[in-house]
Amino acid sequence: MKTLPLPSGLLRTLAGQALAFVIALALGAVIILMIDESPVAVFMTLMRGAFGDAEKIAGTLLQTTPILICGIAACIGLRGGMFNVGIEGQLFLGGFAAAWVGFAFSLPPVLHVLVAMLLAVVAGAAWVAIPAFFRVRFGTNEVVSTILANYIATLLTSYFTIFLFKRPGGWSETPPILESAYLPELFSFSRLNIGLLIGIALAIATALFFRWTAKGYAVTMVGSAPKFAEYGGINVRKVGFGVLLVSGAVGGLAGGVETLGVHHRFMEGFAPGFGFDGVIAALLANGSPIGTIFTALFFGALRAGSLLLEVDTTASREIITVIQALIILAVSADLLMRRRGDRTGERRWKF
Amino acid sequence: MDLAVDLQGITKRFGAFTANSGIDLAVRRGEIHAIIGENGAGKTTLMNILFGLLQPDEGRIALNGKAMVIDSPAVAIAEGLGMVHQHFKLVPSLTVADNIFLGMEIRRNGLIDRAAQIERTRVLSQKFGLRVDPSERVAGLSVGIEQRIEILKVLARDARTIILDEPTAVLTPQESRDLFATLRSFVDDGMTVIFISHHLEEVMEVSDTVTVLRDGKVVATRPKTSLSKRELVRLMVGRDVSFDRRPRGPVDGKAALEIADLWARDDRRLPMLKSASLTVRSGEILGIAGVAGNGQTELAEVLSGLRPPSHGSVRLHGQEVLGLAPAQIRARGLAHVPGDRMVRGVDRNASLSANMLMGRQDKAPFSHRGILSWATAHAEMRALIKRFDIRARGPKDPARSLSGGNIQKVVLAREFTAGGDVLLIDQPTRGVDIGAQEAIHDEIMRQRDQGRAILLISTQLDELAALADRILVMFDGRIMGEVDGEAMDEEAIGLMMAGVDPATPVDPSTGIDPIGAAAAPAFPRPPASEEVR
Amino acid sequence: MEVLGSLFNVALLVATIRTTTPILLVALGGSFTTKAGIFNIGLEGQMLIAAFFAVIGSIYTGSSVGGLVIGVAAALVFALVYAVLVVSFRANEVVVGLALNILAGGMTISLMKAIFGTRGSIVGRGIVGLPKVQVPGARDLLGFNAAQLISGYTPLVYVAFLAVPAMLLIYGRTRLGLYIRVVGEKPEAAEALGISIARVRYTASLLCGLMAGLAGAHMSLGYITMFTENMSAGRGFMAVAILIFSAGDPLKVLAGCLLFGFADALSLRLQTFGFPSYLVLAVPYAVALVALFALSWRARPKTIRETLETMRRALSVSPERESSSTRS
Repeated sequence: MKTLPLPSGLLRTLAGQALAFVIALALGAVIILMIDESPVAVFMTLMRGAFGDAEKIAGTLLQTTPILICGIAACIGLRGGMFNVGIEGQLFLGGFAAAWVGFAFSLPPVLHVLVAMLLAVVAGAAWVAIPAFFRVRFGTNEVVSTILANYIATLLTSYFTIFLFKRPGGWSETPPILESAYLPELFSFSRLNIGLLIGIALAIATALFFRWTAKGYAVTMVGSAPKFAEYGGINVRKVGFGVLLVSGAVGGLAGGVETLGVHHRFMEGFAPGFGFDGVIAALLANGSPIGTIFTALFFGALRAGSLLLEVDTTASREIITVIQALIILAVSADLLMRRRGDRTGERRWKF
Repeated sequence: MDLAVDLQGITKRFGAFTANSGIDLAVRRGEIHAIIGENGAGKTTLMNILFGLLQPDEGRIALNGKAMVIDSPAVAIAEGLGMVHQHFKLVPSLTVADNIFLGMEIRRNGLIDRAAQIERTRVLSQKFGLRVDPSERVAGLSVGIEQRIEILKVLARDARTIILDEPTAVLTPQESRDLFATLRSFVDDGMTVIFISHHLEEVMEVSDTVTVLRDGKVVATRPKTSLSKRELVRLMVGRDVSFDRRPRGPVDGKAALEIADLWARDDRRLPMLKSASLTVRSGEILGIAGVAGNGQTELAEVLSGLRPPSHGSVRLHGQEVLGLAPAQIRARGLAHVPGDRMVRGVDRNASLSANMLMGRQDKAPFSHRGILSWATAHAEMRALIKRFDIRARGPKDPARSLSGGNIQKVVLAREFTAGGDVLLIDQPTRGVDIGAQEAIHDEIMRQRDQGRAILLISTQLDELAALADRILVMFDGRIMGEVDGEAMDEEAIGLMMAGVDPATPVDPSTGIDPIGAAAAPAFPRPPASEEVR
Repeated sequence: MEVLGSLFNVALLVATIRTTTPILLVALGGSFTTKAGIFNIGLEGQMLIAAFFAVIGSIYTGSSVGGLVIGVAAALVFALVYAVLVVSFRANEVVVGLALNILAGGMTISLMKAIFGTRGSIVGRGIVGLPKVQVPGARDLLGFNAAQLISGYTPLVYVAFLAVPAMLLIYGRTRLGLYIRVVGEKPEAAEALGISIARVRYTASLLCGLMAGLAGAHMSLGYITMFTENMSAGRGFMAVAILIFSAGDPLKVLAGCLLFGFADALSLRLQTFGFPSYLVLAVPYAVALVALFALSWRARPKTIRETLETMRRALSVSPERESSSTRS
C-alpha cells in the first residue's frame, strides 16, 4: 500500500511473495498426499481444467470475473483502511436485486441491464451502509460486523428466493430474467460475458483513481496514516464511510454481473465464496487493483481447474481453498521482511 | 576504587549508525553520576546496554567489581541494578501494590497474596519516604506519583544502583526538587544513582560527577565542582552555542489570532483546557511555556480543529473559526506544525512529495479538476529540499528514510509554504539536533519578520527565551500569567509552571464554568461569603 | 398465550443452556487472547476443525473421550499455527485468522471426501457421543422440571459454566492471569520486568485453542453426533462479537453468550411453529449484530451525559452563583 515503492523494496517483496508461494505449494502437496492423491496428478488436472482448451480458458475467465470484481471491492476498502469482509453478502444482495429487476420488469434491452446493475450497486452499498455508519461513528469493528452481515444476507436472499419469488415448479430459484437483461457474451462457446471487461476496466480505473486524483490521494492517506490525514484537513469519517459504501457497491455490482451474465436467475447459493476469494485476491495483491487482476486470474484458474479435479480424481474441489489459505498464510508471514523496532506498536492492514 | 558500574570500550551499532563508540564509564559507589548529552548522543542506548535490554557489539561490563554478561534485565536486576524508564511502564488497571510486585508476586497456595503485597508496599513506602496509597489503582494518578511508584518498583527489587532516564521531563520544577532530595537520601544510605538528562541546570544541581556524551562518545568525565555551565554546554555540543535572544524589531501588527475563554477536554474526557484567553498579533511570536501535558496539546488541537471545544471563541482575523473542520480552519489562514510529528505530521511510508501534498492535493498547481500533477509536486518538493536544506536524496524518498530533524524540516517546509499567515508551531525542535535547531529558529524568525502571527508552544524555556516576544505559562489547563520575552524571569516562569499563582490572580468572575472544571480549583479561593441555596 | 406458554417453558431454558455451551466455551477461549491483546478472529476455524477431528477421533478410538482429545489436539495445532504467525512472525492477525478459517473449511470438506467419500455430512459410522451426566439426587430434590435444568447435560456443559468462575479466579488471583492482562494492557511494562510477551501470548493462544477445541467437540459429539460442512455456522464470529463488547471479561462474556444461546434456542423453537426457517435462522446473527452496534453506541453515554450536563450548567449557572456550584 505504498504510494511510491522503492525498486529494491519492491524486488524484495516480490522475492518474499515467491518464496511464500513455494512454501504454500509444498504444504499443499503434503495435504494432497494426506488425502491419498498424487500432487503432480492433481496439479496436472488443475492445469488441464483451467487451460486445457479454449473452452476451458473461457471457463477460467468466467470464474475470474466475479473474483476480480469482488477483489476490486476489497482493494478499495483496504486502500482506505477498511477491511470489508462482507463482500460475499453484498454480492448476494446485488445478485438478487439484479435478478429481480431482470424478471419483474420489462424494459428495452440496454436500459434493462443498466437499471438492473444500478439496483445491484445500490443494494450492495445499502447492505454495507449500517456497518459502515457504526464503523466511522462509533468505531465498531467492521470485520466482525460485515462477516455477521454475510450470514444474514445469504439467509435473507434465500428467503426471498424460496418464499417470495420462487419459480413455479422450480427448486429454490427465481424465475429467469428476461433476455433484454442479459449481459452480452463474448464467445459463442462460453457464457463468458462482458463482465470480465467490466472487471478489468474497473481495476484500471481504480488504479488510476488512487494514483492520479486528489480524492484517491485522500483515500490512500486516510488508509495509511489516518491521524495525518485528519490533521491535513481530510474528513476521515466521511472518507471512511464513502470507501466502505463504494466497496459495497462494487460488491453488489459483482453480484449483478454474475446474475445477468452467467446464471440469468438468482438461486440459493448462487455464487458461493466469490466474495471471500475476492478479499483473498486483494490481500495477495497487497491492495493493488492491477495486481488483483492477476491474483484473481490465478484463483479463477484454480476454481475452474477444480471442477475437472472433482471429475477426474477422488479429491474434493475444496482442496483449492486449502491451497489458497496456505498461500495467504505463507505470504502473511512475510518471510523476507525483517521486523524490528515497534514490537508493541500498532499494526496496520499490512500483510 | 569501589566501582558500582564499570563499562569499558562499549560499542553498539545499528546498521551503519554507531550509537555508542568505545564508551568507558566508571560510576563510584555512593555517588550521583549524571550522564548528559544531547538527544541522540547515545545516552539511552548506553543505559539499555547496561540494563540488558540491548547487547553491545564490543566492550566489557563489570558490576560491583564482577565482570559479567548482561543478556537480560533479569541479570541486571539480580545484580542490584534498577532502572526507572523515561516512559513509565505501569499498568493502569492494576493497583499500586500489584504494579510494584509485578513479576515478583507474593503468592500463597499458588494464588497472589494481595494483603501481603499491600503491607510490603506500605513498609517500603515508609522506609524511603515515598508516599503512595498501595491499594489505589494507578489509572488517574499524577505523573509525580507514578514516578514514585516506578522508584518503589526498583527499590522493592533491592536495587542498590538506580538508573533514572530523563526523570524530570514530565515533572514541575518543584516535583523535580523533591525527586532530587529523595535521590540525595538514597546516596546518603550508600546507594548509587545514575541520572540521565539533557538539562544543564538539573545536572549542576544534583550530581557529584558528570559524564558528557556527544555523538556516541564520551567527551569528558569530571567532578561537578570543576565544571561551569558554559563549559558543560561546550562539551555537549562541541562548540559555543547559546540560544541568545534573536534581534528583532518592535511588534506593531494587528491582532491575527484571538482566543477567548476557551475550554476543552482531554482524551480521558477530563477538562484540560480551562478558560484560556490570548491574542497573537501579526509579526509577533507568542510563546506558550509549561511542563508537557498541561493543556498545550489540547490548545493546539482545538485551534486546528482536531479536538472539539467545550466552550469559548477563537477568531482568525476577526472571523470566528471555533468548531470548524480542520480543512476550513486551514482555508482561513492557519498553518499548524504538530507536536507529534511522526503521527500527525507525516505519513512515514509515503514519499516526501506525497507528504508535501497534504492539504493542497485539491489546489492548483498541484491538481486541476481533481487530477493530480505529480510532476509539479516533485518539482515543488525539490525546491523545498533546497530552500529548507533538507537532507534527502530526492522528492520520492519515503519520509521514514530521513532523520527526525529532517522530517521536522519537511513539516515546517510544508506548513510555512501553505499560505497561512497564522502559524501554530508545537515543539519545533523536540528531538532535533543542534545544527538543525538553529536553522529552524532562523526560519521561524524569518516568518515573524514577514509579518506572520506565530503561536509557539515549547517545553524548552531557552527556545522561548530566544524567540518569543511574550511568553504565557500554562499549568493544569490554565494560563497562569504572562512574561515579557525581553526580560525573561526564569524564576517567575518556573513558579507558574508549578502552578503557583503569580502576584495578581486571574479574575474569578471571568466567564462561567461551563464544564464544571472549577470543582477542583488550581489555586485556593477565598471561602464563599454566602450560600446561595 | 397458549403459543407463548408452549414457547417459553423449561424446555426452552434447557435448550438455551445447551446452545449457549459451545459459544460460551469458544468465547471464554477467546477471552484469553483478547485479554492478552490479540484480536483472534480465527475462533471459527479452530472450532470447526475440532468438531471434525472429534468425530474422526471418536470413530477411530471408539470412545467419546478419544474423540474429544483428538478434536482438541486439532484445535491446538491451529492455535499454534496462529500464534507462530501472529506472535513470532507478526503477521496481521485478521488476515491470519480469516485464512485459518478458510483453511479449516476447505480441509474438513476435502478430508471428509477423502476419508468417507461423501460430501455434506458424516452421520452414524460409529460416532460415539459424549455421555450425559445425571446429577445424583437432582430429580428427588427438585422434581422433574427443575432437575432438567441442572442435570442430564454432557460434561462439557458443566465445564463451560464452571469455567466462568474459574477464569475470574485466574484473572484476579493467579500469576498467569495477571501476566495475560498486563501483556494485553501494557506490553512494555511486561517487557521491562522480564516477562516474555511472546510466551504469555503463546500460552493465551493455546488456552484459547483448548477451549475452542472443547467447543467444537461439543458441537459434533454433544447433542447431535454428526459432522456437517461448515457446522460452526458463524458461532466463532458471534463469539468475537461478544468479545469485542465484553473486552474479554468472563461475566460479560457469560451474559452475551446466554443472550445468543437464547436467540439460538428461540430460533430453533420458532421453526417448529412454522415461521420461515430462513428468517428464523438469521435471528442469532441479527442479535449478534444488533448487540454489537447497540453496545458500541452505548459505550458513549458518558459523552451524551456530559453534553447534557454542559448545556444545563451553561443555561442555569450565572456568574454570581458560581461559587456555590463549585462547592457542591
